[in-house]
This record gives sequence, C-alpha cells and structure tokens, in this order.
Amino acid sequence: MSGCPGSRTIDFSEKENQEGNETGSRPSQLRQWPIQLHLVSPLAPYFQGKDVLLSADCVAYALGDFHKDYLKGKSLAIACPKLDSEQEIYIEKIKSLIDDAKINTLTILIMQVPCCFGLVQVAKEGAEKASRKIPVKQIVVGLEGNILSEEWI
Amino acid sequence: MKNALNKEIKDIIQDYPEVGRILEEYGIGCSPCSVGSCLLKDIVGIHNLDPQQEAILMYRIEKAIYPDRDVPEPKVDLTKKQAPKQISYSPPVKKLVDEHGLIKRLLALIPHIVEYIENSVNVDKELVLQCVDFIRAYADKYHHMKEEDILFKYVDNNAEIIQIMYKDHDTGRNHVRQVIEGAEKGNKAQIREHLLAYRELLMQHIKKEDEILYPWIDRQLSVTQVGEMFKQCTEADASVGDELPKKYERFIIELEEKFLQEVA
Ligand SMILES: [Fe+2]
Ligand SMILES: [Fe+2]
Repeated sequence: MSGCPGSRTIDFSEKENQEGNETGSRPSQLRQWPIQLHLVSPLAPYFQGKDVLLSADCVAYALGDFHKDYLKGKSLAIACPKLDSEQEIYIEKIKSLIDDAKINTLTILIMQVPCCFGLVQVAKEGAEKASRKIPVKQIVVGLEGNILSEEWI
Repeated sequence: MKNALNKEIKDIIQDYPEVGRILEEYGIGCSPCSVGSCLLKDIVGIHNLDPQQEAILMYRIEKAIYPDRDVPEPKVDLTKKQAPKQISYSPPVKKLVDEHGLIKRLLALIPHIVEYIENSVNVDKELVLQCVDFIRAYADKYHHMKEEDILFKYVDNNAEIIQIMYKDHDTGRNHVRQVIEGAEKGNKAQIREHLLAYRELLMQHIKKEDEILYPWIDRQLSVTQVGEMFKQCTEADASVGDELPKKYERFIIELEEKFLQEVA
C-alpha cells in the first residue's frame, strides 16, 4: 500500500448489520448557523460559555449517531485540516473561543486517517495561546463509524 | 441472589468468609474495610469490571453463598483478550491525582522522620509542626477541601463510598491533633503512633481514590460537568494563589534532601 491513507480507496459496502434501529424520525440537533470555522465568529452568542464541538468535515458522514450522541447540547465548528487554507486563522479563532467566548469545554472529533490529527494540532496550538485553560477532549472515529478512542488531552 | 445483592458487605463476609477472599482476587479489598456498609450490588458496580469478569465473579459469589444451588456457569469467551486497564482521568480529576503525588512523597518520608525523632534527645518540635502544617494546609485545606466542596458534590453525597471518604478525612484530622499534642508534650510515642497511623490511613485512602472513587465519579460526569468542575477547581486554586503549592513542594524537596540523602 502506498499513497496517502486519507484518500486511499476502501469499499465496505458489503458490511453486514447495517440496519440498526430505523424507527422514528430524528430531529436535527443543530442550533446555529454558520458552522464552518472560517465563517463562524467566536463572538456569536451561540458560543458563549458553551461546550463546543470542533469536528472534521468527514466525521458527520461516518458517524451514524452524530446528531444524537455528539452534536446534541453543543455548539459546532467544522473544518478540514487537509484541504482548508489559512489555518493560522483557525488557531486564532480557537484561542478567541477560549478567551473571549469563554467556552466551557472543547471536544475535537476527527477521523482515524493521519492527516486528520492536524485538526488536533490546530486546536492544541489555539488552546496553548489562550490565557484561560479549559478541558479538551479528543475523539477518533473509524472509517466505518466506530469510536476508536476517546480521551482528555 | 437478589437478597444477597442488597446486603451489607460486612454481614456477607462475616457469614461467608470465602466471599471476602473471592473479592480480594479481583482487587476488591472489602475484608479490611473499617466500615463495610456498602451493598454487594454497589461494590460490584463501582469497580467497573469488564462484563465477563463480572459474570464470573457473581457466579463464584453465588456459589459461595448457596453451594447447593444449581447455578449455571457463565459462558466465557476465553479467546477474547481483555483490554489492559489504563485509567484516563478528566482534567479536573487528573489535577487531584497529581496532588496525591506530593502528599505521597510526605507519606514516604514519615518512617524516616519517625526514626529521626526516636533517635534524637529532644523532640524536634519545629520539624513535627512543619509536617503538620503541610498536612493541614496542603493535604487538608488545599486538596481535601476541593474534594469535599466540589468533586463529591457531583455524585450522590450519601453514597457509602463518599461517606467513607469523609470519615477518612476526619480520622486523618484526629491523628494530626494527636501529633500536635505529642509535639507539645514532647511525647515521642504519641507522635510516632499517630504519624504512622496517618501514613497508613492516607496511603489506603489515596489508593481508593485513584483507583476506584475518581474513575467512578469520572464515569458519571458529562462533558459539561467536567468543564464546570474544572472551572470551580481553577477558581479554588486561584483563590489561594500559585505560591501555596510551590511553597509546599519546596518543603517536600527540602525534607527529601534531609532524609533521603543516603539513597541519592
Ligand atoms: Fe480524599
Ligand atoms: Fe484525595
């Protein structure tokens, strides 16, 4: 195997047990707009004192219960550490979320592919620059939507 | 078995000592516990065994209590490797675990201090009172107060395990009072007895917190609560200032230089 593991082709369409529990409709747990990290303002009311989820773009598609188990009760920012440009701005925004919006916690949701850890790096740099300290959690999601690890960093 | 689950552990162990031995095999040390009023069902829950281990444990306890009963042996998949247990604490709890580190360094010095006092003509009152000051200001005020005023408030305060922690804190305070009295009177035996008892008490107490209580509390906390608790602990620390923990760390380093120099 060679090439970037983040863009390697993998097909798991044969996977069994894909039914789950399909009864009932699922309301969206999103309570804000915009959500892209370049577009959001740390001064937006929906961030003040909140628990914030910083999610890599791909996560919401991989994680079957993203809304119910992760987004619910949190404010959201999304970004792609591999493709997005001007990520220094991201670092400043994270810092501002911590210092100005005085967010309660930051949870970073990333995919297992190596390049996705860049988002953790961005968040860490922002948190280190901030003068306030808050708990930061990292959750790594497998390609098939399984949770690989969940830890405070 | 339902009846047994709702019984206090000390009664069960009294009637069936084998149960105490089985629990010990699983690292659950109820036999030496001074209180023993936890219910069997809570004990098993609080220790967070993996489901397979728990099934075997419950089977063995039931067999020990009701040897004549036809209890089905749990099916256990031995091919399933057990994940190594590594405790991952939330940040506010991790801070408390780190504080235990400095307290344990004093506990490690106590036998040396006791020996030094025994071998000197007059009791070094100042040294004893300095240790008391560390225990009162750092271990008790700085550390135990965060546990009592913040951490314990996030779980059911009436839970047996929390009551035991409060009791340990109180017992520790009593030992400290005795140590002070010993120092005032120049009573070496009194100082020795209560410093060593304090050491034994706190070693067990810290082990219970690090390995059982703190992980149990962490498992019940939501992300939001972790953030709130972190904020409360940070504010509590800020109210005493940065200098206090630094001062007591310097004190421990000085003691270590004085009493552990032969090791270095
Ligand atoms: Fe304690
Ligand atoms: Fe403690």
